[in-house]
Amino acid sequence: MAYDPRRTNSGTSTPQPPPPPPPPPSTQADMSSAAQAIETANPAGAAAATDSYKLKFCTVCASNNNRSMEAHLQLSGAPAAFPVISFGTGSLVRLPGPSITQPNVYSFNTTSYNQMYEELSGKDERLYRGNGILNMLDRNRQLKWGPERFQDWVPGVPRVDHLSKGDKGAIGTEGGVVDVIITCEERCWDAVVDDLMNKGTALNYPVHVFNVDIKDNHEEALTGGKAILDLANRLNEAAVAQHRVHGSEGWENGTGPARQSFDEKVPEILADWQERYPNLPALWTLAWL
Amino acid sequence: MAQPMDNVVDQVAQLNAARSLVLGDAAFYPQIVNGILPIVGASTRLELRRWGASFLAETFASPMLAVAQKEQLAPNVLQTIREILELPETDTAVLQSLVQTSASLYPLVFRHVVNHPQDGKSWETMSAIKQDILRRMDTFPCPVKLCCVKFIQRVVQVQTPGLISDPRRPEQNETSLAVVPRNHAVLSIPNLEAESSGLLDRLLGVFQEEISDALLVNATLNCLAPLIRTRQSIANKIINAVLEFYPTKHVRPPFTPTTRVSVKSMERTARALLINILKKNPNHHLAGRMQMYIERLMQSRLEATDDASRKRGLPNEPTDGLDNAKRARLNALPPPILKIPPMAPGPASFDRLFTLTEDTGLSSFDVKQLPIDLVLKIVVPLLSQVHDSTLSQAVDAVRTRYQTITKDQNLQRQQQQRTAAQDDDDDYEPEYQPMDVASVVSEEASAVAAEVADLQPELVSLGPFVLPQPPPLSEEEAGEIGRSAVARVFGMLTAAETSPAPAKGQSQQKLGFARLAGSTFDRDAWSVLLARLATRAPAGLENDPQTKGDAVRKQTTIADSIRETLYRFILEDFRGRLNIAIIWLNEEWYNDRIQMKSAANQRDDTEEDSEPIVALNYDTWATRLLDGFLAYLDSRDIKVLVRFLSEVPEITLPITQRVASLAKDPERVNLCVQSLMYLIMFRPPAREMCLNTVEDVYQTYEESRPAAGKVLTKWRPQSTALEPATNDAPASSEAKPITSES
Repeated sequence: MAYDPRRTNSGTSTPQPPPPPPPPPSTQADMSSAAQAIETANPAGAAAATDSYKLKFCTVCASNNNRSMEAHLQLSGAPAAFPVISFGTGSLVRLPGPSITQPNVYSFNTTSYNQMYEELSGKDERLYRGNGILNMLDRNRQLKWGPERFQDWVPGVPRVDHLSKGDKGAIGTEGGVVDVIITCEERCWDAVVDDLMNKGTALNYPVHVFNVDIKDNHEEALTGGKAILDLANRLNEAAVAQHRVHGSEGWENGTGPARQSFDEKVPEILADWQERYPNLPALWTLAWL
Repeated sequence: MAQPMDNVVDQVAQLNAARSLVLGDAAFYPQIVNGILPIVGASTRLELRRWGASFLAETFASPMLAVAQKEQLAPNVLQTIREILELPETDTAVLQSLVQTSASLYPLVFRHVVNHPQDGKSWETMSAIKQDILRRMDTFPCPVKLCCVKFIQRVVQVQTPGLISDPRRPEQNETSLAVVPRNHAVLSIPNLEAESSGLLDRLLGVFQEEISDALLVNATLNCLAPLIRTRQSIANKIINAVLEFYPTKHVRPPFTPTTRVSVKSMERTARALLINILKKNPNHHLAGRMQMYIERLMQSRLEATDDASRKRGLPNEPTDGLDNAKRARLNALPPPILKIPPMAPGPASFDRLFTLTEDTGLSSFDVKQLPIDLVLKIVVPLLSQVHDSTLSQAVDAVRTRYQTITKDQNLQRQQQQRTAAQDDDDDYEPEYQPMDVASVVSEEASAVAAEVADLQPELVSLGPFVLPQPPPLSEEEAGEIGRSAVARVFGMLTAAETSPAPAKGQSQQKLGFARLAGSTFDRDAWSVLLARLATRAPAGLENDPQTKGDAVRKQTTIADSIRETLYRFILEDFRGRLNIAIIWLNEEWYNDRIQMKSAANQRDDTEEDSEPIVALNYDTWATRLLDGFLAYLDSRDIKVLVRFLSEVPEITLPITQRVASLAKDPERVNLCVQSLMYLIMFRPPAREMCLNTVEDVYQTYEESRPAAGKVLTKWRPQSTALEPATNDAPASSEAKPITSES
């Protein structure tokens, strides 16, 4: 028995709005009319089903403090409020100390940003206020509990507790998987790709791994974070489009670029993005969780 | 009417609540999975199918749910998946999730069937799903295809023998072909192995595509690591396939930013995979090749052009201190500046050259007194302590000293030599050209000797060494040697001719006007060389003969003997060597011109009556050549003849007469008339002369009338010859060569 999603839809929907004047034979119009049809058919449900679709992101830097957290903030705080988690690939969390040879070192996963904040402000508030470390930690503790190490992450393990702790960007990442990983340094990208291979690709879940090379200072982290948000918006746009087009109607009618899936668009999106941010060298691959 | 839709929304909300429940506590999975299967099954709405497929994918991928429980849940789920797939399902998202689920289920079901051979039904369903996925893979949309890549990887991993870590505890072994008993009722090891080998080829086939799809390549590369690590038997095959793959070769030429992104991503992913393998096993027997591959990737052109501009340099100011490693050392001391005293006065010697201290005690110390091993013991640690820049300063100092010394010595040497060399030059007078070779040799030898002498330090200098003059050659000997040299060049000509040269022709076509006479060492270059040897080299030398008489006549034969040889050489195969003939005749003609010009100049200079005689060779040899091969031309050789006539530099009366003589042969009348017509049409300077000839032919030879008549009516309608009265209209009286020769 053939199953036709369009038939089901039209059969169950509220009265159709007056059909648009004789449809011009362009795919664009077909798509938009299809989308319009869904939205008008079920204002609440469709809006929830299509617009609520979001890519899940993961940001990674060396210490999960500066660059990845700035990006974490940007992504979770954006109007889209992307689901986002963040990690560091270093062996330890290293923050600058009073001199080069005396960095402040903490272990991943067990130290909270709050602890670090308290400790450093107790040690030498003037110094750490002056070099921006305290401001950074203060921002971080508003976002989530503490730095996490990428290599210790087990994809697929539910992250419901993060949700209950009120981590920003936790909504949507309960399942413990992400669609996109964005690293902030080439060696982090290498570490992530390598670690995913080591993890054994057990989930059979595809993940796009990007690198956006950002210098490790506050200003660059801010610019880089914005650029990452830009990239994320574009990727999400494409993913939502795929979800919609393939969703109810229009997939059969679409041709060419309209039928191009999110995954296929990724290289183009990145190339396009790179043109606009030539100072943030980018890199990409498709890996598996 | 809105009821069903609200229903769906409600249902999804309920399902989401259920999902939250299992995420919180994995113990609820069996209950929930079995509960939702009917709700999200084949005949339900798209939203529900999507939700269900994605939930199933998550469930069977979840590390929280025990393998045993997943195994239990598998049969029901399999049935649902099969039904949805057979709809046939077309929604990308659903398909994607279902293929993911299948990939997760495959090892579970496989293991289940290994342990429960009686459950053939599960295996049958799983196989049906597998066949369905593999069959439709190529038509699936891209995201689903990617998941299929992963599915294939899973199947290959399961159906290839793995390691048996502990034979006594089979439940701990990894799921692989190795855990299947030989006599299993459902699973046949050879079949499974064959299938997996085929699938592996399909998986690796992505590296052989003409145009690579970066997504598929990366997806494949990123899932190969576990196969290489855990499946020894196929690891080499996979690595070799990767090592054969060079991303830059698999893209179409227009390098858009997108292709650049793709190529770079494939390169970096391939590199990441190999580095992952190398890290796991640094002593891998393919380690060398993998290293080379990685290096080659690094050097790849794209990377170089692309990254050079984008790699960031050092931070231009200390950053905020978050990354200590990047701070440049600013407090390093500048190295001390070495004080170099001027070199000690007196004759230069090695010890003076290398003495950089002014301390007399130190410089007079004789190091030879110390045993060599002691010196070594002191010097080696000392050298390692010496600051880089100090060492280079010292070396520079010695180098400048040495350069000044050698410069001085060279100057002195040259002065000495100039006085000595003047004698040498005076007593040598070249008599004729071939002797020059010898003189050059001796000059070179003395130059080399001088150079060698220059290089010697003053202390061991030898007197200048001059090669003794060779015994003078008699004229016969010289002629003999000259001829043998010429013979050798002819040898080259024939050798170059026999070598196959399809490419040669092409390259010559390309050279066009940019060609130089001897730039390529092919046949043409050698023939130009020969032609010039015959025409230019002895020119002028032959012009003296008036004064010297017979003796010199013999010498002229060197040039003429070359000509004679060339002539014979060309006639041996005049069709093939026509271009040599043309090159040669052009050279002759040009040489004649030059000779006449210089002779004219000389006469102006000397203002004497004695007319300089210029031996003109072009006429003689052009007619000789023509005579030589005219006899052999047959009626179809029109191209050869026309080419010759059109490319020789000048058409003379004798030449046209020779051509006219062809008309004697009734078979070659047309050849004659046509070639003349060609000259009339395309060689205006020779037009009159040729028309005269045609007239002549027309009158003389009956057979030529039809053809020659046409030419004449077209080009010289007023010709008297055309009138029926056949008198002996004196064509020769009209015939006036346009080009006059002296």
